[in-house]
Amino acid sequence: MSSSPRNRSSSTITVVVVAFVLIALAALAVVSGTGQAFVTGLYPPVAVTEQGAKVRDLYTIVFALAVVIFVLVEGLIIWTVIRYRRKPGDDMLPAQTHGNNVAELAWTIIPTIIVAFLFVISWQTLNEVDATSASAQTRIRAVAGQFQWQFDYLADDGQTVQYTQQLATGDGGGLYVPAGRNIQLSLTSQDVIHAFYVPQFLFKRDVVPGRVNKFDFKVDAADAGQTFRGQCAELCGAGHRLMLFEVHALAPADFDAWLADAIANASATPPPAPSGPATPSGQPAPSGQAAGPTLQVSAQNIAYEQSSLEAPAGTPFSIEFDNKDAGVPHNVSIHKDSASGEEVFKGDIFPGPAQKTYDVPPLPAGTYAFVCSVHPNMTGTLTVK
Amino acid sequence: MATTTLTPAATTYQTGLYAWLTTTDHKKIGIMYLINSFVFFFIAGIMALGVRTELAQPGLQFFTDLQYNELFSMHATFMIFVFIIPILAGFANYVVPLQIGAPDMAFPRINALSFWMLPLAGIILLLGFVTGGTAAAGWTSYPPLSEDRPLAAIGAGQDLWIVGLVLIGTSSILGAINFLVTIFKMRAPGMTLFRMPILVWTVLVTSVLVLMATPVITSALIMLFIDRNYGGSFFDPRVGGDPILYQNIFWFYSHPAVYVMILPAMGMISEILPVFSRKPLFGYKAFIFATAGIGALGFSVWAHHMFTTGAVYLPFFSLMTFLIAVPTGVKMFNWIFTLWRGKLSLNPPLLFALGFLSMFLIGGIDGAFSASVPVDFALHDTYWVVAHLHYVLFGGSVFGVMAGFYFYFPKMTGRMLNETVGKLQFVVMFIGFNLTFFPMHELGLAGMPRRIADYSSTAGWNDLNLLATIGGFTIAASMALFLWNVFVSLRSGAIAGDDPWEGNTLEWATTSPPPPYNFDHLPEIRSERPLFDVRHGRTAAH
Repeated sequence: MSSSPRNRSSSTITVVVVAFVLIALAALAVVSGTGQAFVTGLYPPVAVTEQGAKVRDLYTIVFALAVVIFVLVEGLIIWTVIRYRRKPGDDMLPAQTHGNNVAELAWTIIPTIIVAFLFVISWQTLNEVDATSASAQTRIRAVAGQFQWQFDYLADDGQTVQYTQQLATGDGGGLYVPAGRNIQLSLTSQDVIHAFYVPQFLFKRDVVPGRVNKFDFKVDAADAGQTFRGQCAELCGAGHRLMLFEVHALAPADFDAWLADAIANASATPPPAPSGPATPSGQPAPSGQAAGPTLQVSAQNIAYEQSSLEAPAGTPFSIEFDNKDAGVPHNVSIHKDSASGEEVFKGDIFPGPAQKTYDVPPLPAGTYAFVCSVHPNMTGTLTVK
Repeated sequence: MATTTLTPAATTYQTGLYAWLTTTDHKKIGIMYLINSFVFFFIAGIMALGVRTELAQPGLQFFTDLQYNELFSMHATFMIFVFIIPILAGFANYVVPLQIGAPDMAFPRINALSFWMLPLAGIILLLGFVTGGTAAAGWTSYPPLSEDRPLAAIGAGQDLWIVGLVLIGTSSILGAINFLVTIFKMRAPGMTLFRMPILVWTVLVTSVLVLMATPVITSALIMLFIDRNYGGSFFDPRVGGDPILYQNIFWFYSHPAVYVMILPAMGMISEILPVFSRKPLFGYKAFIFATAGIGALGFSVWAHHMFTTGAVYLPFFSLMTFLIAVPTGVKMFNWIFTLWRGKLSLNPPLLFALGFLSMFLIGGIDGAFSASVPVDFALHDTYWVVAHLHYVLFGGSVFGVMAGFYFYFPKMTGRMLNETVGKLQFVVMFIGFNLTFFPMHELGLAGMPRRIADYSSTAGWNDLNLLATIGGFTIAASMALFLWNVFVSLRSGAIAGDDPWEGNTLEWATTSPPPPYNFDHLPEIRSERPLFDVRHGRTAAH
């Protein structure tokens, strides 16, 4: 090895080529079965907003240039390695080329032109997708906190809150938006930095405490009726992964009806109502005081302080819920068998620090889970017997 | 070589533990840098396997949310601050004095001090695991999360993180001063600035970056410490502070730090390609200007990490970020045309160097996507960014480190690493690397944010995550091959001799390993390839 370690190259060529082929095959085969899926995987999802579509068009140009440059340069590397490998026993020195000023100029100037072009088209797109208009038709404020979103629907003055949507996902929850209208979203944080991110918008914006960030978007009218997945994109603590939300695009007339309904319902049952579930999925609250025992439940630092509860079967009982988390909404809901089971009771969601007493209807004997509707990782076991 | 008369000096390395602990010899310190860095590389690698294992399937199987946040925060912290930056400093420590014909670094005792801060800092960072939790707010530790919010940084870990990083920063600053003085004052007669090996040039530029940028992050860290412990109000908006201020100061260091993590690796690549293609580096001066250009532009692009904050003048930072692609492209073409019409010997150092070229290319092209602000709005803080940074720091830096290790191991130990195992390691590492990180491009485009412990099984991310996890364990297998190769070759590797690769630069003109104070006699230095001139005559060089 020490005498001529540099002459055994032909087997290595095979190895390198095999490596490249394996990579290509593995990438093609495993990603989703076909080469086409592999290529579409290198593309962002189809945009559902006017702004997102422009970002996607820009991505197409950047991607096309990237592929051309990649194929040319990577091809040049591979071809050079295969073409100019040293044959065993070849001790001749190759020509000692020290450089070439014309070549250096060429590969300075041409890339400069390419990146200047990319900069200009990026700047143009930026001015289109990052513009905030004074005449937004719908104004919504997203308020982020560890670890939930709530959405305030603002009046035309941009200040007055008409309705607050406390649930970001699930039954009745989510950010409802009118498709085809120009929407301005302002972002505020109650605690740390979060980021509002909807992959199908091809857009995200940080939610920074002490600042109000704003951006405009318009969901394509054709996408009315669709739901898009959203998620916090800036690490915000242990529950970061739980900061999910849904965006429901409605036809403008449906949106208007939904908002009017929501405002009417909210004023019919004012938030500090002493007891009783306010949401359609809850059980009607029994009148008067509950007959059964009273269970104590408290929440602090986005966790219940009790892991298990017991209640008698077949009689109504009460839950005194103490939410100790300042500014963070919680509730207690009860699900059959486990947290993913059927919901049999849902208490009001309210921000702490505050207490509230829920009256729970009679439950048949069995095992239940109590869960916070806002924070699905907050769970405990309720045994009814 | 006819120019060296010393007998093989391997005995100088067998003088016991005490000699190692008290040494001021740049070569022993360099080797200790490498060993220390590799120890923390494997620790941080195990953390990465933890992350990949948790993400292999939807659902939380192995860790709690907080433990998961600790894992990826400490993985990045160790990889960046206790592995990549120090290991490149270690190579520089070993090689730079040899390459410029100097007997040692300018300040040998400060050199030892710089080194010994590193294991101390590493242990301080690890202590978080036994004091109620490490830092868990990411390696960036953005306030307010890293300050006092619930469920983020509860224990002393975040303070230990600050102390550890300030120590490492101090070590870097001392090291940078040492390198600059060594390079400017200790060069052998005939070694003009434009005859210095490219590795020395990259270390010079890197040292300037470290010297200018590190004090800035140190100030950010100390402000964070004051906020956390003494009720400061630098970054807390409730009392008039600004969290964006921290991001500006942090990235003013941490973007140039990317070049600290890649330039010396580029320097080693630029030593290896000419030797294994038997040609001079194409465009030596252009390469130096490109390196200086990257260093200068590197100070004007920091806010491209903050495009989505809504607090950045976007066109300026977009333009500067695009422009930095130009000197990087110059380097890429100079490397390729060094190989062009050469006589390539595909030994492990060249294989890893080619891995660097082909993978760093992808990382660099990815950079153009991020420089385009609207595209970055879609990609920022998703797995796409995780892919991009690993193509730069693993596909670039780690492949460069491996190339340098296979290249310099014979000089450091007097023995060759096993060629066959080296080639096998390269193939396994290359495949594992691409299996792990290429799918992350697609995960990010499909909307998977980084730093989440779990994801919905209906989000469509299951297959790609499983693939990335399989790739992660493939990388681990390649590292097992690497360790095995090192242990076996240390005992029974082939004897290297002074100059096993037909090198160009002065480190190959002395024994393997070199004696204390490096040289008895130096060849004439009339070009950037003094040993080539000795071997073939000055006339052959044209």
